[in-house]
Amino acid sequence: MDITTLGGSLLGTIPLGDIVLYLTPFHLFMFGSILIFTVIIAISRTETQVEAIFGGMKEKKVSVDLSEFKARRFLAIVCGVATAGAMITGDLFNFILFVALIGIVNIGIVSAVKQISVLDAAFHYGLIAMMSSLPLFGGGAMILASTGTLSLFAISQIPHTSLMLLFATIMFGIGVAGETGIAPFFATKAEMFRTPGSPFILIIHLSSLFIIIRTIEIILLIVA
Amino acid sequence: MLVPEFVPQIFASWYMPAIYTGFIIAFVGLIGIAVPKRDIHVLILTDIIGLAMLVIVGAVGTDLAEALILPGLVVELAEILAISEILISREMRKKDKIPSLFPTPLTLDMEIMTTAPNFLAIVLIGYGVFLTGFTGGAVAGSGILVYIFSRKVRGLPILIIDGIGAVSGISWCLWIIGFFLFFVTPQFWLLSLFLAACGLLLKVASKMGLIGVLMREEYNKK
Repeated sequence: MDITTLGGSLLGTIPLGDIVLYLTPFHLFMFGSILIFTVIIAISRTETQVEAIFGGMKEKKVSVDLSEFKARRFLAIVCGVATAGAMITGDLFNFILFVALIGIVNIGIVSAVKQISVLDAAFHYGLIAMMSSLPLFGGGAMILASTGTLSLFAISQIPHTSLMLLFATIMFGIGVAGETGIAPFFATKAEMFRTPGSPFILIIHLSSLFIIIRTIEIILLIVA
Repeated sequence: MLVPEFVPQIFASWYMPAIYTGFIIAFVGLIGIAVPKRDIHVLILTDIIGLAMLVIVGAVGTDLAEALILPGLVVELAEILAISEILISREMRKKDKIPSLFPTPLTLDMEIMTTAPNFLAIVLIGYGVFLTGFTGGAVAGSGILVYIFSRKVRGLPILIIDGIGAVSGISWCLWIIGFFLFFVTPQFWLLSLFLAACGLLLKVASKMGLIGVLMREEYNKK
C-alpha cells in the first residue's frame, strides 16, 4: 500500500544511500507521544505497596530500595527511547533491531522484581522472546531475499508481491508478536501491577501497543 | 531477477535448501522443548533455535545479511545471558542465598597454567598485534587473560592497571578518527585504515583485559 494512504502526507525523505528515511505526520505523532510518556514515566515515583495482615489490624509495607528503583527506571527509559526509535525509523533492519532491544529490556524490567513467581514469569517470557527471534530476524532476512532491499520506502514501491514475501511478512509479524506483543501478558501473569514500583510496568504495555501499531503499518506497506 | 549476473547459479540455487535446513533445525529444537524436562535443558534447547535463526539469515549471503547476523548473534547472547542470570537468581532465592556472579567457586587446576603461560601469552599477544582489527584484539585480549589467570593460579601478585578503561576509550577515538579521515581525505586511505585497525585492536584487547580485572575483583571478595 502507498505510504501516503497509511501515514498521511509525505513530509520529506532523508536519502542516506541505501537507507531512505521518510517522515509522515503519523510517525511524528507516534514518536512525540512515546517520548512524552517516557518522560512522565522517568519522573514518576514508585508507590509503596501495602499488604494487609490477616488476623489483626496491622499492615505490612513493601517498598522498592534505591538500587532496584534506579535499575528499573534506567531500563524503562531505554525501553521508551527504543520504542521512539522504532516509531520514526524508515528501515526494516533498524525496526527489527529496536524490537529486539525492547524484548531484552522488557526481560530486564520484569526480572528486576526479586520474587520467585515474578522470576518464573520472566524466565518463561525470556524463552519465548528467544524463540521468536527466529521468525523476527528470519522474516527480515527473507524479506531482504525476496525484495533485495530493507528500506521500507523502496519496498512499498514494489508493485507485486510474491508468495515468498507473503510468508516472510507473516513470519515477521509472528516474531514481533512473540518478542514484545506477549510482554504485557507475562507482566500480568506475574501480577506485577500489585508488586511495588509498578509505574515501570506501564512502559511494557505502551511499547507493546505502539510497536504492534507500527508493525501493522509495515505489514500493510509490504503486502497490501 | 534480484541476483546479479556475476553470482554463479549454484550459489543462488542453494538458498532454498539452506532455508529448509534452518526450519528443520528449529522444528527439532521445538520438539525437544515440548517434551517436559528441567528448566536448564529448556534453556539450552532454546539456543538451538537461535542457531537456526543464524542459518536462515546467513542463507541470504549478502553484506546486508551479514549486518543482520551480527546483531542477531548479539541479541541471542544477551538474551541467553539474561535468562540464565534469572534462572540462577531464582534458584538462589529458593535456597535463601544471595546470588553472585559466579555461584560455584571457579578452580583452574590445569597444567597449562603453571608450565609455560608467559610464552603462550606472548605468542597470543604478538599474533594479535600482527592480525590487528577486531580478530587481533580478541586474540591479544585472550593472551592478557591467560597471563592474569596464570599469575592468579600460581599465587603471584597481579599488576593493577587502573587506567585500562581509559585506554579503551582513547583507542575508540582513534577508530573514529580513522573512519572520519577515510571519508574526508580518501587519498590517505592507508593511514586511516591503520588508525582504525590499531584502535580497534587496542579497544578489544583492553576490553578482554577488563574481564580479567573484573574476575580478579570477584576472587578478592571471597
